[in-house]
This record gives sequence, structure tokens and C-alpha cells, in this order.
Amino acid sequence: MSTTNNTNLAEVARQAVDLAKKQGASEVAANAGRTREVEVQWRDGRLDKISEATTRGLSVQLYVDGRYSAVSTSDLRPEALERFISDSVTMTRALARDEHRRLPEPELYAGRMEVDLAIEDPNQAKLSAEERQRIVRELEAAARAVDTKGAILSVTTAFGDVLRETYRVSSNGFEGGIRGTQFFASADVSAKDSDGRRPEESDFAVARFFADLPDATTLGRRAGERALGRLGAAKGASAVLTMAVDNRAAGRLVSMLLGPMTGMALQQKRSFLDGKQGQKVGSDRLVLTDDPHIQRGLGSRLFDGEGIAAKPLPLFEAGVLRSYFIDSYYGRKLKTRPTTGGASNLSWKLGEKGQAALLADLKEGILVTGFLGGNSNAVTGDFSLGVQGFRVRGGKLAEPISEMNISGNQMDLWKRLVAVGNDPFAYSAMRTPTLVFEGVQFAGV
Amino acid sequence: MTRRDFVGLGTAAMAMAGAGELLIGCATTQQAGPGGLGGGSDGPSNSIGYFARFGVTENLIRETLAAALSRGGDYSDLFFQHRISTSMALEDGSVNKAFTSVELGVGVRVVKGDQTGYAYTEELTLDAMRSAARTAAAIADGPSRPGPQSFHLFKELPQRYALKVGWDAVRPEQKLPLLEGLNAAAFKADPRIVKVSLSFSNEYGAVLVADSNGRLVEDLQPMTLLGLSCVAEQNGKREQNGYNVAGRAGFDFYSPERLDRIVREAVSRTTILFEAVQPPAGELPVVLAAGSSGILLHEAIGHGMEADFNRKGTSIYSDKINKPIAHPFVNIVDDGTNEYARGAINVDDEGNVPGKTMLVENGVLTTYLHDSISAKHYKVKPTGNGRRESYRHAPLPRMRSTYMLPGPHKHEEIIASVKKGIYCSNFTNGQVNIGGGDFTFYVKNGYLIEDGKLTRPIKDVNIIGNGPRVLEKVDMVADNLVIDEGGWTCGKDGQGVPVSQGLPTVRVSSITVGGRNA
Repeated sequence: MSTTNNTNLAEVARQAVDLAKKQGASEVAANAGRTREVEVQWRDGRLDKISEATTRGLSVQLYVDGRYSAVSTSDLRPEALERFISDSVTMTRALARDEHRRLPEPELYAGRMEVDLAIEDPNQAKLSAEERQRIVRELEAAARAVDTKGAILSVTTAFGDVLRETYRVSSNGFEGGIRGTQFFASADVSAKDSDGRRPEESDFAVARFFADLPDATTLGRRAGERALGRLGAAKGASAVLTMAVDNRAAGRLVSMLLGPMTGMALQQKRSFLDGKQGQKVGSDRLVLTDDPHIQRGLGSRLFDGEGIAAKPLPLFEAGVLRSYFIDSYYGRKLKTRPTTGGASNLSWKLGEKGQAALLADLKEGILVTGFLGGNSNAVTGDFSLGVQGFRVRGGKLAEPISEMNISGNQMDLWKRLVAVGNDPFAYSAMRTPTLVFEGVQFAGV
Repeated sequence: MTRRDFVGLGTAAMAMAGAGELLIGCATTQQAGPGGLGGGSDGPSNSIGYFARFGVTENLIRETLAAALSRGGDYSDLFFQHRISTSMALEDGSVNKAFTSVELGVGVRVVKGDQTGYAYTEELTLDAMRSAARTAAAIADGPSRPGPQSFHLFKELPQRYALKVGWDAVRPEQKLPLLEGLNAAAFKADPRIVKVSLSFSNEYGAVLVADSNGRLVEDLQPMTLLGLSCVAEQNGKREQNGYNVAGRAGFDFYSPERLDRIVREAVSRTTILFEAVQPPAGELPVVLAAGSSGILLHEAIGHGMEADFNRKGTSIYSDKINKPIAHPFVNIVDDGTNEYARGAINVDDEGNVPGKTMLVENGVLTTYLHDSISAKHYKVKPTGNGRRESYRHAPLPRMRSTYMLPGPHKHEEIIASVKKGIYCSNFTNGQVNIGGGDFTFYVKNGYLIEDGKLTRPIKDVNIIGNGPRVLEKVDMVADNLVIDEGGWTCGKDGQGVPVSQGLPTVRVSSITVGGRNA
């Protein structure tokens, strides 16, 4: 097996399947992958860090005498690999039998769409070191340009690009590969507050195509403005208030809703959404579909990690829970048909208004722009999260707030969703718009 | 902004991270220097075991370092790592899943002033390593400097985690009964338990640092972690909680006492949640139990004392060295020397030997946590805090085991002093904004304190405060320091490293509790 950069991933995966079968596996699936990434960091007027690497690896799912294990290695030296798989098969035999551990039923592979998802930018390889450095320089300049009072202490900017390729082969008939690029740019800005604090804020973007990133000047300026906006932040009084959540931050709330929707969470009785399929768990505004086929989408795919053909999946319709994320293993345990193991891209039913109009409507409350720590109890839905953001007074942004917390239960929170913005955040697969919730408990002074 | 922050959905698969090797050929089963791997005519040196492990030669290292310095970097190091991790999971009564991973690679770092060039390769051939070195070299832009002509092995490493029996000698068949026994014991402990899951991992990592001063340092770093998690049901309601233990230790770590404690703690921490309430929202006095409450120090001061944030001027502690920041009875250390602790290291990932670093001495801020770049910047000796997740990452100043030394008060005296507040004993996570100083930690278990007594249990509440202000408000410290045995991992710049933490019972006079007002 060759281990050079020209390694044919499909060939590696096929060889691994053959090797495992030869060593006694009854079923096997192998994923071979390679990632090439470059990142440039710039800080306060000069290059701070450059890094560049190619990672390659192989992961193999082994099914031996009704037993299962998963193994992965970056050591592809032929002797090492052969021994690795042989030892892994031996180890698997020591485990307990589990009738539910099998490869997915081959019919789940069927129906794969034959479309180009447009997730690889053909121009990535042409990006030069000079171009990357130009971007990080411009990001810094734009961030500093908004600072008229000399409050900015330090600016770190970064640009990176990645080409990721994987190829999966399973012994019961699946073969498929995926190649995709990602480009990201970010600016982190620290400013000095009059009381000695050094609040930091950032802006970032990530996209499949270089051309889909915002220009460096816009992104840098937003980072600078965000940091300066934190100056003078203080804790407000504890109160029950209307909460708007910025589209960039809202993904945190959504992920705590989606986590308990997996087959594992349900089967292991670790989900407050267990038994809630078909029931209303959110307001009419909660309308969400998992859409794997969005052109240039960050989560777009034709098949999932098991090879199951990707299809749009309704998650919430008018607040009613429609589907869970069920992989083939937990599908068997739960005696239900698998959907897919996890989300791809989210597609929201958007509202009519942008954030400014939503704030004008809500009049008094808090706009949350970032979360800090906290947690959500997946079993009960209770959550408690640190927040920062701004007071909203008379429908407009007022003073910055920090060191506050929100608490509640998700079965209550999502029913309080009263408005959804028209501004999906493009730089995440969750594509969250601004969300507005009524009657949220804030803790502060 | 780190790469990790860009990952939107589908990041739940980290639960099995950390691990170990067991039967899967501990590195000693690797062939020494298989065909085509060596770059020169030198055979593996007999005095250095790792050359054989990595299949590289002294000549290959010399040529790689020469390429790394080909554009005039001040310094370069190579970080070889061969890590074999295995984990097993028990679910629904049987150990029916195992995961093994093997990582083998080398990271090449070139430092010019405080600028870093970094590249790594998982192919340990001369061509691949030289190419990585040339990539990293691009951070500098000057005439070539010579690499080291000879190497010397640093032999004065302490031994903080010697194993009686290596994990490679422990068969899976020996581990299965342990997990099955814990599962049975958890169900037996309380009839309300409806689900038990266990994960057990062990890891053996070999590292070799070779630098442009000709220094070679090698270490073998074991780790094991066992977690028991359970779900209980009562009157149609469910609750879930767990307990985990970790250390740089071998199979003998799992003594009968420790196994009993795992079950007892996991079950009682779960079932008590049925009686638990959420505390009121707002500012309250908070008493932190001895042990894992050290998460307060990790977030409130530890990260802010990492020297990279300070040399950049972005930490809230940047201008506070030699200034009083807490009561004189507050002493905080970051310590790499606690034997067998998860946060212990014989050597950091830049090849420096860590000791015990005082962060706060008698209430006065003393020194930052340094890697070699910041140590040079501040003209001090490195404190042995240069750590990295793997060869895929450049080192950064990171904590090891962070704890507060015992103070003058008594645990009972502290509880009795609070009229209305909360007592926090068990945590799941924390986070901090380095520059603003705001930090949080999430309380999974605790109690209300009413009129100097622990009353109702509490659960699921986030505490939020500001580092320097909270340290000033630490107004009582007991004499009962406990270093937690849990499996804590610290994240920074997308890199996770194992850490420990500890605290005696401590009172914070007032901090914002994210509870709910009825």
C-alpha cells in the first residue's frame, strides 16, 4: 500500500476491506480519508503563525462473529497496518455478541441523488501564500479602522483553507466518495475598557467557495465594531425579559434541541423528546427541515457516515416534532426504520423581518450576541447558559451587558418562540436566523 | 477564532476520545525501521529506544532540522508521537463496542522571535519530513542556519507515572469482568436505575522531542479513564448523571475502593436529582466543595495566566504581576508533579521538565505559565507548560494540575457562616473570556444553604462571574484540599489536553447564580 500523497483513497479502502475479511471479519466497512489544510495567522502588523499539513488516515468498522469494534490509524506502513487489523479482529472476538451490530441494510444505500452539490471550489489549489497574507492584513486594517479612540489593544486575524476527501467501501455493497473545500476567515479583536478589562470579540466566516466569503474589509470592520461594542459592559438586574438571539449565536440553542433527537439518546432514555414525536413541542414558528442537498452547503452530502442515502427530513412543522435522527444500529434496537445518524444542513421557515425590525417590535428586552459556558440537561430539558449582548430599550440597542445567565426548560422555551428573522447565518450548517423568545429568566445582579 | 468554532452540526462523536492501547500492538510490536523509512545510512542508535519505535534515524532527524532552519529560524523542534488508544463501552448490559486508534506522526515547528511556522506529516520518510520542515521554515526569511551536528539524550527526567504493568500486557478479557461488575453493582445500588453505560479507555503514548540545540527527550505517557453514567426513573420522571475517574496510571488504579466509589457516586449523584430544585437567580454567596470545584481556578485565573495571552496584552491579568489580587491566605499553584494525576507530566511537549509553579502566593500574583516562546519574551525559565494535543498541533502555554493550597478556615465553619446561599459539589464544564475575565462553571449537584445548614439539593445551574472580582471575593479557605480524580480535558485553540484541578472548601462572598425565580 502506497502512502504518498497520490494514494488512491478508494484503493486503500478496498484493500482494508479485503484485509479484514481475510483476517476473519464477516462484515466490514472502511473509510480512507485525506485532509490538506493551510492556515495563516496575522497579529498586530505581522505574520504570527503559518501552518500547513496533510493528514491521512483509515478507519475500519469490523463485524466479527456477531461482535463489533471500530478502529482507526494514521500508521499506514504496510506491516503495521496488517498487524493492526489482525490484532483488532482478535480483540473484537473478546467482546459480547450484539445482534443489532450489522452494516446497514443495503436498501438504505439506494436512492442516492446524482447531483453535484457544488462543495468543492476548483480554484482552491490556485490560492497563493501572498493572497492569504493579503487577506489577513486587510482584515486587521479594517478592524483597526473603526477605532477612533485608541481602545483596540490587539488584533489577530486568520485565513485558512481545507480540502477534505474521504472514500467509503463496505462489504455489503456501498461505495462512495466525497471531496469538499472550506475557506475560513476570522478577526479577533481585544479592546481596553476603562476599568482594566480587555473584552474581546470576533467575526468570522466559513464557506465552501472562496467567492462566498465576505470581503476582508467588511468582516474586519464588523469584528472591530463588535469589540468596541463590548466596552462598558455590565451586569443587568435579574428579570424575566423578551430575548432576541443573534443569528450567529442561535446555533447554540438549536444544538441543545437537536442533541436529544438521536436514536442513541432515545434508546438510552436520555432525551426529553422521547415519546414526543407527533406532539407540539414548540410554537408555530418552529419549522425546520434537515436538507442535505443545499448547493454549496457546509453540511451537504449525498450519503451519511454509514452510507445511507441522504434525503430531506422534516424535523419540526408548526412546532410539531416530526422525525428523529436514527442510525441503523439504534434503529434496530428501537425497532424503527433508520433516518440518518445526524443533521446535515438545517433549512428554516424564515420570517419577514430582519433583526433591526424584530428589535423594534420587541421594544424592551435583551439581544443575546454570545453564549458563555452553561449546559442543557438532555434528559429533562433544563438549561442554564451564560450570555452577553445588549439591552434593547425602546426598540433599539442600548447598553452592552455581560456576566448574565439565562435558565429555563426547553419544553417551555421553544413554545415561547414568537418571531423568526429573515436572516439565516450563512457560515454554519445550522443556518439559524435571529430568534425571539418571550418571557425568559435572566440572572444578573 | 479556532477551527472548532466553525464546526456546526454533528460534533457529538467526541465521547470516545482519549483512550489507550491494550492488545493492539503496543508500540513495541512495531518493526524497527522497516524498509524505506530511514533516510540515511545511520542505523537506529542503540541508546535511544524511540528511534526504533518511530522507524527514524539520527541522520534523518539532523536533515529535517537542517531543512527547518534553512530560512534562518531561531529555533526548531520535532515532536514525534506514537499513541495507541483503546476504549471499550458497555451499554444495555454488555461490552459490545471497542474502539482503537493509532496515531503516528511528527510535528515540525520553526520559531522566529515569537512567530511560529508549523507543519506535520504522518509519513516518516526523509522526503515527507523535509518537505514539512521547509513549509514550517517559511515563517522566517533569512539566510540558512546550520542544524545540530550531534545529539544528546536528556536523561534526568523524573518518573511520575511508572507502571507496574504496561497496558499492553492487560488483555481485554481482564477488563470485561470489571465493567460487567460495575454495571451489576450500579443496578443493585438503587431500584430506580434504568440504564447504565460505561466507557473505559487506556492509552500509551510515546513522545520524542528533538530540537535544534541537539537535545533529545523521550517519555512514555500512559492514561486511563473510566466513566459510569446512569439514568434513573421515578414517578415517570427521569434524571441522568455519572462519575468518572482518570489518571496516568495502570490497571492497578482500579482498586476495589475506587470501583466502589465510582458506583456509589454515580448512583447517588443521579438519584438525588429527583429531590433537587433550582436555586434562585441572582447574586448569592457560594460555597465550593473541596475537589472538583478547582474548576473555578481553572477558569477564573488559570487561563488568564497563560503567558501567550499576556505577552499579547490581551489577558485581564496582563498588568497585574506582583500585585495583590486576593486575600493573603489565597495560594494557587499549577503543578505538573502530582504522581499519577491526569495533569501530571514528566516533560512538557517542548522537552522542558515541569515543576510546581506558584500563580498566586499569599494573595499576590507571582508568575505566568510559560512555554518556551513566552519564557524568552519575558526572559524567564520555561515553567514546563508548553503542551499540545498531538503532533498535529503546535504547543501553547497550558495548565497541568491547578489547585489552591489549604487555608486557615474549617469546612464546617464556612458552611455555618452562610445565611442564604448555595453549596456546589459537582460540575460538568466551564468556560472563560480571557480578556473580559467573565467565566462560567456549570453545577450539576449541590445544596441550598439556609441559616448555616445544607438543606435542599440543587441541580443544573450555571454560575457566572468575573475572574479578578471573584478572586477578591474568596473570603474563606478551608484546610481540606482535595485534588479531583476526574477525567478533565482543557480546550484551547481547538486543542484538548488532560488536566487536573483541586480546591479546599472555599467561600465566595457573592457571585451570579443562573437560577430561576419562581
